[in-house]
Amino acid sequence: MTKPLFVLSLLLAAAPSFAAVGCDLNDPDRDVARLFPGSTGYKTAYLSVKTLGGGKMLARIEARLGDKFKGLYETIDVPYTLYTVTKGTVTAGYIHGVNQKSEYGGTQVFLALGTDARIKAFYIQKLTSKAAKELRSAAFSAPFTGLSLKEFEAYDPAAAKLPETGPLSVLKSPSPRARKDFLSVLRAVKKNLILLDEFVFSPAPGAGTSAGGAAK
Amino acid sequence: MTIYSIAYKNLLRKKTRTALTAAGIALSAWVLATLLGFNRGYENGLNRDIDNMGFQVLLTAKGCPYEAATLMLKGGTGLRYMEEKMIRTVSSDPEVEAVTPMLMQGVFDPNKGESGAISAYLGVDALTFPRMKSYLEFKQGGWFRDNTAYEAVLGYEAAELEQREIGDKLLIPGLEAELLVVGILKRSGTQDDGTIFLPITAVQKIFSKTGKLTGLGIKVKKGTDMAAFENKLYDLPDVQVVSMAQVKTTIMSLVSSAKVIVFAIAFIAVIIAMAGVINTILMSVMERYGEIGILKSMGAMPLDVFRLIWTETAVLCSLGGLAGIGLSLLTARAAEAAVRHFLPFTPNGDLIAVDARIAALAFGFIFAGGLLSGLYPAWRAARVRPLEAIRGEGD
Repeated sequence: MTKPLFVLSLLLAAAPSFAAVGCDLNDPDRDVARLFPGSTGYKTAYLSVKTLGGGKMLARIEARLGDKFKGLYETIDVPYTLYTVTKGTVTAGYIHGVNQKSEYGGTQVFLALGTDARIKAFYIQKLTSKAAKELRSAAFSAPFTGLSLKEFEAYDPAAAKLPETGPLSVLKSPSPRARKDFLSVLRAVKKNLILLDEFVFSPAPGAGTSAGGAAK
Repeated sequence: MTIYSIAYKNLLRKKTRTALTAAGIALSAWVLATLLGFNRGYENGLNRDIDNMGFQVLLTAKGCPYEAATLMLKGGTGLRYMEEKMIRTVSSDPEVEAVTPMLMQGVFDPNKGESGAISAYLGVDALTFPRMKSYLEFKQGGWFRDNTAYEAVLGYEAAELEQREIGDKLLIPGLEAELLVVGILKRSGTQDDGTIFLPITAVQKIFSKTGKLTGLGIKVKKGTDMAAFENKLYDLPDVQVVSMAQVKTTIMSLVSSAKVIVFAIAFIAVIIAMAGVINTILMSVMERYGEIGILKSMGAMPLDVFRLIWTETAVLCSLGGLAGIGLSLLTARAAEAAVRHFLPFTPNGDLIAVDARIAALAFGFIFAGGLLSGLYPAWRAARVRPLEAIRGEGD
């Protein structure tokens, strides 16, 4: 009796969701504890540029990014998941991820930021690349620690050019074949930092950031 | 002044009682219309989902019929295969209209999440598969050029996850095979939304599975005796037959068992509503004994009194029934969400389809039940003796 049901569920079952695709941690309990050692809990909030600030916010984000949101999937209504991490009763920081189009597929780049808006941890959750192993290595992610949006303002994603001097000069493509995906990752990091700034650290007046959400 | 307006005014004399009785009738009508709508919607949805598969029978290698499950459980290894010559064997049957071969393959991608995950690819025939899945529409591009092309068509959600558009490249991790995305499908609400389709010969080459298949979709000619046809397929060596008709029958029989219980509950709800109608109208008759007596002493015949009371019942049931049908239309989506939450499998599309026919059926049932309930109070009213009633009123 259960066999045909099983087959049908495999053949027919489809996710009913019809919203734009977001970027969530695959296993939030495990990932939050790993990205924020010593944290005691987290709260999840779902935000989107469309609901928080609309076209004006999008234009501001694009201007700060130095590049337009493009393609079928980088749109104003993408839902972003913000994890507000707590240590006891105090906010320890935030985790936020973005999807980024790369050479061979979608890349999901997560940042863990302290309350000082500096990167505490950098994590590529998903990456399809010939150089995936190198780009997901600890050696590649380590130099991101301590950087903030201020440093990333020097990076121009449209020109795909890193400054030769200054704090960002420590970021290097792990190999020539990783170059395209490396630049995609940098764009994702800058976009992520800008979104966090708009959502959390310096929201524009009237952009009602939804700090509420499900606590864990 | 018509008999209807008199009946309506009589009902308004006890507004709260009338409203509560009408609410009871409305709830019964709501339950009935929603259940009838669910009955229709579920069956339609299941039929549509199965029709959308494009084939009525799926042939897979014996011992491992559920290749998708194997992919998940065994990490893309351990699949069982059929030989490609099976296409010719099955196609030669005069009852077969078309067949479409499929080869599902998966690779473990260590760069998906912390512990890696399986990426699955479905190799399909560039000629027959699109014909069978004619309902699939493209958001961008179209199907592959031929079966050997290193090209890919992505379901909408697969494309969204991989952020792919036509002209982009797709990499099969571990095998370093590069494909060109030539098509992005629109959302179909089926499993195709999350599928990455590749040309079957290209999949056979990339995964070194030349001449192998994991499935064969079979579309039979109209009027074919499915049971006899399936029995013929069972005679083929080393294959497993998965019949969509069997699957549908199994699901419908499971749902039917549940429906019997739910319809019994609906029936009880209708009985309770009818008891409420009898009580309300009977009380109304008792309270107006003297008034009815005066009516009869003025020349009203028993049939006139019967009609008056019965019309009150009809008006009450009509108002309640219409409110219930309206409620069922308003709450159809909410009820659908609840049903989807509780049922283990629900087809795509509108699950609760309350249309004009179902609304009329539910209304007719409630109205007929109401009229039946009004018979006794109307009969009691018709039998009132004028003198006794007037004397009783005076006392």
